[in-house]
Amino acid sequence: MDGCGSFTVHHKRPPFSSAVRLFQAASGDIKTSSAVSVAPDSASLCGEMASLLQPDRAVYLVRGEKKIRAPLSQLYFCRYCSELRSLECVSHEVDSHYCPSCLENMPSAEAKLKKNRCANCFDCPCCMHTLSTRATNIPAPLPDDPTKTAMKKAYYLACGFCRWTSRDVGMADKSVASGGWQEPENPHTQRINKLIEYYQQLAHREKQERDRKKLARRRQCMPLAFSEKYGLGTRLQRQRSGAPISSLAGLSLKEGEDQKEITIEPAQALDEVEPLPEDCYTRPVSLPEVTTLRQRLLQPDFQPAGASQLHPRHKHLLMKRSLRCRKCEHNLSKPEFNPTSIKFKIQLVAVSYIPEVRIMSIPNLRYMKESQVLLTLTNPVENITHVTLAACEEEDPDDINSTAKVIVPTKELVLAGKDAAAEYDELAEPQDFQDDPDVVAFRKSNKIGFFIKVIPQKEEDADVTVSFKIRHDFRNLAAPIRPTEEGAETTAEAIWLTHHVELRLGPLAP
Amino acid sequence: VNMICVCSFSAKIAAGAVVCVESEIRGDVTIGARTVVHPKARIIAEAGPIIIGEGNLIEEQALIINSYPENIMPDTEGVEPKTMTIGTNNVFEVGCADLGRNVILTSGCIIGACCQINTCEAVPENTVVYGSNCIRRVQSEKPQPQTLQLDFLMKILPNYHHLKKTVKGNSTPV
Repeated sequence: MDGCGSFTVHHKRPPFSSAVRLFQAASGDIKTSSAVSVAPDSASLCGEMASLLQPDRAVYLVRGEKKIRAPLSQLYFCRYCSELRSLECVSHEVDSHYCPSCLENMPSAEAKLKKNRCANCFDCPCCMHTLSTRATNIPAPLPDDPTKTAMKKAYYLACGFCRWTSRDVGMADKSVASGGWQEPENPHTQRINKLIEYYQQLAHREKQERDRKKLARRRQCMPLAFSEKYGLGTRLQRQRSGAPISSLAGLSLKEGEDQKEITIEPAQALDEVEPLPEDCYTRPVSLPEVTTLRQRLLQPDFQPAGASQLHPRHKHLLMKRSLRCRKCEHNLSKPEFNPTSIKFKIQLVAVSYIPEVRIMSIPNLRYMKESQVLLTLTNPVENITHVTLAACEEEDPDDINSTAKVIVPTKELVLAGKDAAAEYDELAEPQDFQDDPDVVAFRKSNKIGFFIKVIPQKEEDADVTVSFKIRHDFRNLAAPIRPTEEGAETTAEAIWLTHHVELRLGPLAP
Repeated sequence: VNMICVCSFSAKIAAGAVVCVESEIRGDVTIGARTVVHPKARIIAEAGPIIIGEGNLIEEQALIINSYPENIMPDTEGVEPKTMTIGTNNVFEVGCADLGRNVILTSGCIIGACCQINTCEAVPENTVVYGSNCIRRVQSEKPQPQTLQLDFLMKILPNYHHLKKTVKGNSTPV
């Protein structure tokens, strides 16, 4: 019977876990535009303006193994190769593991032993939210005097979202706040472990044979991946052929160890199957008791059909990953080790090197009529950048999506450098760039607004798309600066980069 | 609990209920004892009376509405006002909506945040409705112990909000 007290026990929970989502956003995980739903009555002007700023309206082309079009905020820039990189043309490496609710770091070896699950935190089997421990006071007989009863604390797990509790599946309350909860044991664990051992030994033996053959023949005919059949794919294996292969982490047999033969019995096929219950067809289905597919498959060991057998599982760990350019092997993104920190040690994102084009306003577009579209161009670096735009040529292989002709300004656009202190410096005179008012609409610190002329070419166009090339100068600060003879100031050499940009301007006006 | 008098006609609020003035109660509504109605909750008895039992918790921006069925105009003859009954110990979380005249909530139900119930049914006891978009139900074993929350709110809410007058209470202005 419940007493009157009930409170939640927290496992050193930090103020907010939105740090995880910020990290994911920064590393370009979020692909689609935000899912914020705007109430119908307020979606008028502000909704339209906001939709122009959606990142996927202006995409840049990445010329990697695959041609990928992605908004600049989701791309990386390798300043050693001086090229844009997307998530698909970099290699992803695991940096560290951590639990998303208690934010506890876990070394990779330990994570592997615990099957990438946190030791302290549990997931609700019903709605996958994090479970919290609650305590109630129950009267319990004192150990030394059975007649007197004292209030003892009993702990149970409860979900704040769907109100599931551990008592729903019959788990008894525990007397310790943490550590008392056990996952049910898989009945096939022994057989699975034996099979894993057998196959690891087999893989190890095969690897040894192949290595011996390889050294003997001095031929590198077989791809390296075959040697490590059941192991993890590491970067070393992929790229450097001929290098010594690192063994399976942790769980492999050591060299020289007594290699005992592990035999397994082959699986037996049974003739008889457990029959269905008698009332299988007649018993009415109680829908709340039936588990959903998602709930069932999150517990692959048991896959219970009834909700009363859904036991909580330990929470899955998340990992932080670092990205590496495949051509030059330099790191493009390396997060901090601390799970509570969302900063990066190395962060070579494209928005901090490449000028960004964004749509500001679109007039009514009409078939075969020229309209002026206002775009903005933002300079992310601190020095002055010169940008030239060019329309795509007739037979440009990159130009596959455009449905309208575009006339871009021919003159070179000059962007001022990004100066963080500019807004506080009242005495600074605005630099005079002598803008052509037909081309440049406005200029604001490191941003300019400029016009392009768009002539839609398709009659019933649901999404008018234009594309053009943008060419800008880039100072490569990563390259070693050769000292000049006079010892004067050495500015980095400027190279010119060209990018292909596509803009989606929306439907034709009705 | 002493209340500040702001009369709301034909709303019968039993003694011991805590109903904030900022909540919108329209029509023939009966609220039982030990029920807490938060500010900005809306209980609208348009097409018939609403009877709310004891020990319920109705949070902010919750909407309980006894509205006319869709195809019938308000002044058509022959439409009988149908009472909407809400039992005891239910919780209506923030932003939920309990629409329609044919919903009967029994006891111990929890309607989660931003969930809607507009089906014609008697919701079984101890049901929990939660989840975005799809409304899912879980039968929990026992109703959640709301007594602690109710006691707490009954003590704290009068400190910060004006409360609606009960039918039997004294109209002593504070």
